[in-house]
Amino acid sequence: MQKDSLSLSDAEIVRQVLDGDVNAFEFILTRYKVQVLKIVKKHVPSEAAEETIQEAFVRAYESLPTFKGTGDFSQWLSSIAVRTCYDYWRKAYRSREVPLSALTERHAQWMEQVISQGPEEPLDELDSQMEAKEILNWALGKLSAKNRMVLELVYLEGLSMQKTAELLGWSKANVKVRSFRARMKLEKLLRIVKEQGRRA
Amino acid sequence: MRSKVSENESLKKAFREACSAKGRGETGKEWQSQVMRRIRQIGPLRPATGFWPAFESMVWRLAPVSCLLVIALTLLLMNIDFADSNDYLGTVTVDFEQPTLVELFGLEG
Repeated sequence: MQKDSLSLSDAEIVRQVLDGDVNAFEFILTRYKVQVLKIVKKHVPSEAAEETIQEAFVRAYESLPTFKGTGDFSQWLSSIAVRTCYDYWRKAYRSREVPLSALTERHAQWMEQVISQGPEEPLDELDSQMEAKEILNWALGKLSAKNRMVLELVYLEGLSMQKTAELLGWSKANVKVRSFRARMKLEKLLRIVKEQGRRA
Repeated sequence: MRSKVSENESLKKAFREACSAKGRGETGKEWQSQVMRRIRQIGPLRPATGFWPAFESMVWRLAPVSCLLVIALTLLLMNIDFADSNDYLGTVTVDFEQPTLVELFGLEG
């Protein structure tokens, strides 16, 4: 079975699944679990990651009849994973379950220190990641689901507008506008943190 | 002009590193079997049934019948003599026109 799955192309596996072999989907699961896991873990909180990954794969299975065998399957699956993450945040914001962490003076001081340093100067990696993560979580929690996703993809992952548009299924113009607005909002939020540090 | 905090390279780098670190780390193996369990519950998939694929297959199925119908109608039209019906049409129009013009313009001699 292992050998079979390795030698089969994505299109062949998809064909098998569409022909009624439900178990063939396990080949896709094995082949792409790391990729989907990576995407999901970047975008949703760790406690919701497993559920979101499951949802992404189930959605992919249900959408298989719409997959055009000529395209890139990996790209198609990534797009489903990203949209599942976006839907997670839409639901979370609707039910007001977005965790809003509070920031302290420590965060403001860290930010001041990072800004005053050059980008080449090494930061204390673990501490730095912790502070950065907490500030990011705080700021992203104050944005809408749309702004959050665009900001994560464009600003934090450095993806192009075109790629982001493809992943989210939006127009490029929409991504550009959203990205600009989200950046403005992030700027305002980061200024608040910075001002706090100055006042302290 | 104030420089943007969010565009500060060091801060951006720290944020990006924190973000990519989130993507690392393991999850349990239970979710994989749960996915397959859910998929088996859904069962085999039906092929996509959009409007165009259905329309296309219907068109091809009806194509031979349509061709036969076109040939039959052509033969039928070729064998019909239109002269009689033209005459009939002529009399009808004349009958209709005369009283109308007479009424309108008072042309009756």
